[in-house]
Amino acid sequence: MSTQPEFPMESPLLSDQTRGVRSKPRPVASWREHHGWSAAASLRRLMSRPVGTLLTVAVMAIALALPLTFYLLLGNVQKMGEALGQNQTINVFLQPGQSAASADMAAKKLRDHASVAAVTVKTPQQGMDELAKMQGFSGALHTLDANPLPFVLEVLPKPDVTADNVDRLVADMRGMQGVDQVQDGGTWRQRLEALLGVGERAVLILAVLLAVAVLLVVGNTVRVDIASRSEEIGVLMLVGASRAFVRRPYLYAGIWYGLFGGLLAAGFAVLVEWALAEPVARLGQVYAGKLQINVLPVWLLAAVPVAAAVLGWLGARLVSAWQLRKAA
Amino acid sequence: MIRFDQVSKRYEGGHEALSQLSFEVAAGEMAFVTGHSGAGKSTLLKLLGLIERQSHGVITLDGQNLAKVGRAGIPKLRRRLGMVFQDHRLLMDRTVAANVELPLMIGGMAPGERNKRVRAALEKVGLLAYERQLPATLSAGEQQRVGIARAIVAKPMLLIADEPTGNLDPALAVEIMDLFAEFQQVGTTVLIASHDLPLIKKMKKRVIVLDHGRLVADVAAQEVL
Repeated sequence: MSTQPEFPMESPLLSDQTRGVRSKPRPVASWREHHGWSAAASLRRLMSRPVGTLLTVAVMAIALALPLTFYLLLGNVQKMGEALGQNQTINVFLQPGQSAASADMAAKKLRDHASVAAVTVKTPQQGMDELAKMQGFSGALHTLDANPLPFVLEVLPKPDVTADNVDRLVADMRGMQGVDQVQDGGTWRQRLEALLGVGERAVLILAVLLAVAVLLVVGNTVRVDIASRSEEIGVLMLVGASRAFVRRPYLYAGIWYGLFGGLLAAGFAVLVEWALAEPVARLGQVYAGKLQINVLPVWLLAAVPVAAAVLGWLGARLVSAWQLRKAA
Repeated sequence: MIRFDQVSKRYEGGHEALSQLSFEVAAGEMAFVTGHSGAGKSTLLKLLGLIERQSHGVITLDGQNLAKVGRAGIPKLRRRLGMVFQDHRLLMDRTVAANVELPLMIGGMAPGERNKRVRAALEKVGLLAYERQLPATLSAGEQQRVGIARAIVAKPMLLIADEPTGNLDPALAVEIMDLFAEFQQVGTTVLIASHDLPLIKKMKKRVIVLDHGRLVADVAAQEVL
């Protein structure tokens, strides 16, 4: 120590009698600086242990991607139901032996019905021709002496007609004179819609549960981080750091975890879309191109990382407040 | 500067570390607190740093009653103190300069001014050449000097040190004490807990002697033999 320079009375260290940290008040600038420092330092800490960070982020991404994937599947099933519903006609089989005039009269009566959009009359011969085109039937039809098929009325309900009104229409048609039977293929759609309602609720519950899981994952990671740096926290507090100052890097760590988890989850969801695109397109061809994949909206994909970052911040905030209260 | 008035400290479990302790230390004074192990030296310093709270009595620091300092006020008060510990309490994953910079960063000082102060503090303790090194690469004595640089960098009104020379060889211990004396000479109040009697005698400063938490002697600087 004898070789050290002279006591620097003129230095900024002890050149006056002012005590404590004295400089021009700059609360906003120093607050901003520390936010920048905390964001960068927490990111560096995450990057310094890539495997651990990646595992945490992956767990969060999977938790976030699950409800997204279910939402995507549900949307596609719903769209499929709508597309198939556009083709959904009610077949009214007239009694055998009914004349073309009776069929036309019945069709005219149905066209006047409030719930009906269109009625097509299918003659017995048209029915026979359709059967003949079907594989395996053409040979069998030659053995028939006469055409046994009745006139069929294909009734297309209006698109905005409710399920109850369709039921009422079917009942009306069953009561019409000359009607043998009414085949209502719309029941399956009602069941599907009910199932989709259950599915939507299930996705919502799942999303809430998995959001809590994300909160817990971040909270636990930050808790372990704080526990492993308790010595550092103790030193910071001894030299005058406020709890907000000490907590800030951990809050940014929560935000980073959430943001990266959310981005990865959005990436997973896009991959699922990509994986579904081809089979859905094939299905669409079967239905004359009426079916196209229902993709997740861009706003939702963008909102996932933001929401996940907020969840990460919240998880870190709750845990750090609790941990630092113990450390104070 | 410091006033203890009938101060007692009883820890959970019933151990009484300090008992009806009364003394005063004037601003700009340097004093040693000594006594055998368990005499209450560290507890006294912890009460000043608000690491512990007294059970009874009044502690006044620069006119402020410490019992009335709330949780939010603790960081503000600590920013006006410089604390040196026997085990240095350095952040081993940050450079020497970053360790010294901490109090200034916490205080919100501008980066340029921080840098000037850090360099001045490191120059004062003879470690400017090591500013970019990690503390783990330094000897125990050098680490202690980093701790002192961190304690003085914010120009504290009171410098308190708990056994600052505990692990150092005698020659280095004298150098460290001389450093504290230099800060006292420019107006800083210095209170050092130490059980190293030969060193205390050599410094010829006021000595407060504790025994089982009680004040048993208060020897003025000129009376130290």
